[in-house]
Amino acid sequence: MDTKNLIIEAKARFNHNSAKAYLKEKYQTRLIVAEQGGLWRANVETITFLSMAKTDKVILIDSFENPVEVNREELLSKLLETYSTVMKEWHQEWSELEKKR
Amino acid sequence: MSRGAVLFAFNSPKYNYYSMAEFTAKRINHFLGLPVTLITDESSLPEVPNFKFDNIVLVEPDKNNIRDYVVWINKGRYQAYDYSPYDETILLDTDYVVNSDKLLKTFDLDTDFCCHDTTSFLMHPKAPQEVLSAYSFKTLWATVIMFKKTKRAKHIFECLEMVQKNYEHYANIHSFIAGVYRNDYALTLALRIANGHQLLPSDIIPWNLWHVGKNTSAYADSADEFNTEYTVMFDNWQRGKIRKEYINIKDMDFHVMNKESFMELINE
Repeated sequence: MDTKNLIIEAKARFNHNSAKAYLKEKYQTRLIVAEQGGLWRANVETITFLSMAKTDKVILIDSFENPVEVNREELLSKLLETYSTVMKEWHQEWSELEKKR
Repeated sequence: MSRGAVLFAFNSPKYNYYSMAEFTAKRINHFLGLPVTLITDESSLPEVPNFKFDNIVLVEPDKNNIRDYVVWINKGRYQAYDYSPYDETILLDTDYVVNSDKLLKTFDLDTDFCCHDTTSFLMHPKAPQEVLSAYSFKTLWATVIMFKKTKRAKHIFECLEMVQKNYEHYANIHSFIAGVYRNDYALTLALRIANGHQLLPSDIIPWNLWHVGKNTSAYADSADEFNTEYTVMFDNWQRGKIRKEYINIKDMDFHVMNKESFMELINE
C-alpha cells in the first residue's frame, strides 16, 4: 500500500494531538522496568530520590504499591540508563513530529 | 521453564480467523521469539497452510453466539489453561498486531496472571473507558492475557468457565445485555471472583492496550513482512461531513477492532 498517495487522495490531515498522545503512551511504557522484585517507572521523582538517599539499601513503594527493599545504586543505575535511552528516542521522534507543522 | 503464545481461531462465515492467526503467529515468532499453539477446529484448517504452528489443538467450537447477525465463535477461552503446553503463556486475540518485544515484559511482572484494564484509541486517545454498565465495573480486556501454570491461574480460568456458563445470570446482576457473549465481560467478573471480589494492582498490565477503533483503518507503510510502520486513518464526522485524519506510528503493538481493516492489513 502506497500510504503517501493514500493520504493525498483522501485529503487527510495530520492529527497532531493524537500523534502526541501516541508518542507519550509509547515511551511511557518503555520507561517501565522490572528490577529487584519490584516494578518501577524510570521517572524524575524516583531517580531524584535514589540520587539523594545516602544508604546502600532503601525501601520504595513500587508500581504495584508494594514496599520493596532495593540496592540503591543498582536500581539508580538501571533507571538512569533506561531514562536517558528512552527520553533520547522520544525527543527524536517528537522533533520529527514537530516538523510536520 | 517453557514460554509460548496461544491463539484461538475459528473461521466464521464472514472472516477467515485462521489466516489472521497465521499472520499474528509469524509476528509473535519474529518479535517475541515465542512458539505459538493454535486452538482451532477441523473446518478452519486450510488445505495449504501458510505457517507451521508449534502445536495445533483441535476442539469442537461452541457456535452459540451471534453478533451483527453473524456467528461469532469466541466462547471457550477458558480452555487456554488446559490446552497451553507452556509453563508461562501469552494468550492473544488473533487481531492483535505485534510490532515490538513489549509483551515479553509481562513475564517479568511479579504475578501469575495479568491483563489490561485501560485502553486508548489511536485516533481518540481521551475516549472514556468501557464499563459493564452504569453501576458496574470498568471492563477488563481479554485481548492480551499472560498467565503462568499456578493454582490461582487455574482457578481464574475455572471462574471464567463458570461465568460463561451462567452468563445471563451475571448479565442480570450487572445490568449488561446478555445477547452477545463477551470474553472481556466474563474476564472482568471472573478475575474479581477469583480474587475474593477485588482487583489486585499486580493483575493489571502496567500500560494501556491500544485499539484501532471502528471508524479507523491501519495501513502498512511498506510491503515488508515484518513492517512496523503504519499510517492510521480516521473518519472524523463533523457537521455531517467526513474529515479524514491520520497519524504515523511505528514499533507499537495495537489491537484492530475493525476486522475489514485487519483483513486488508494481512492481505497487503
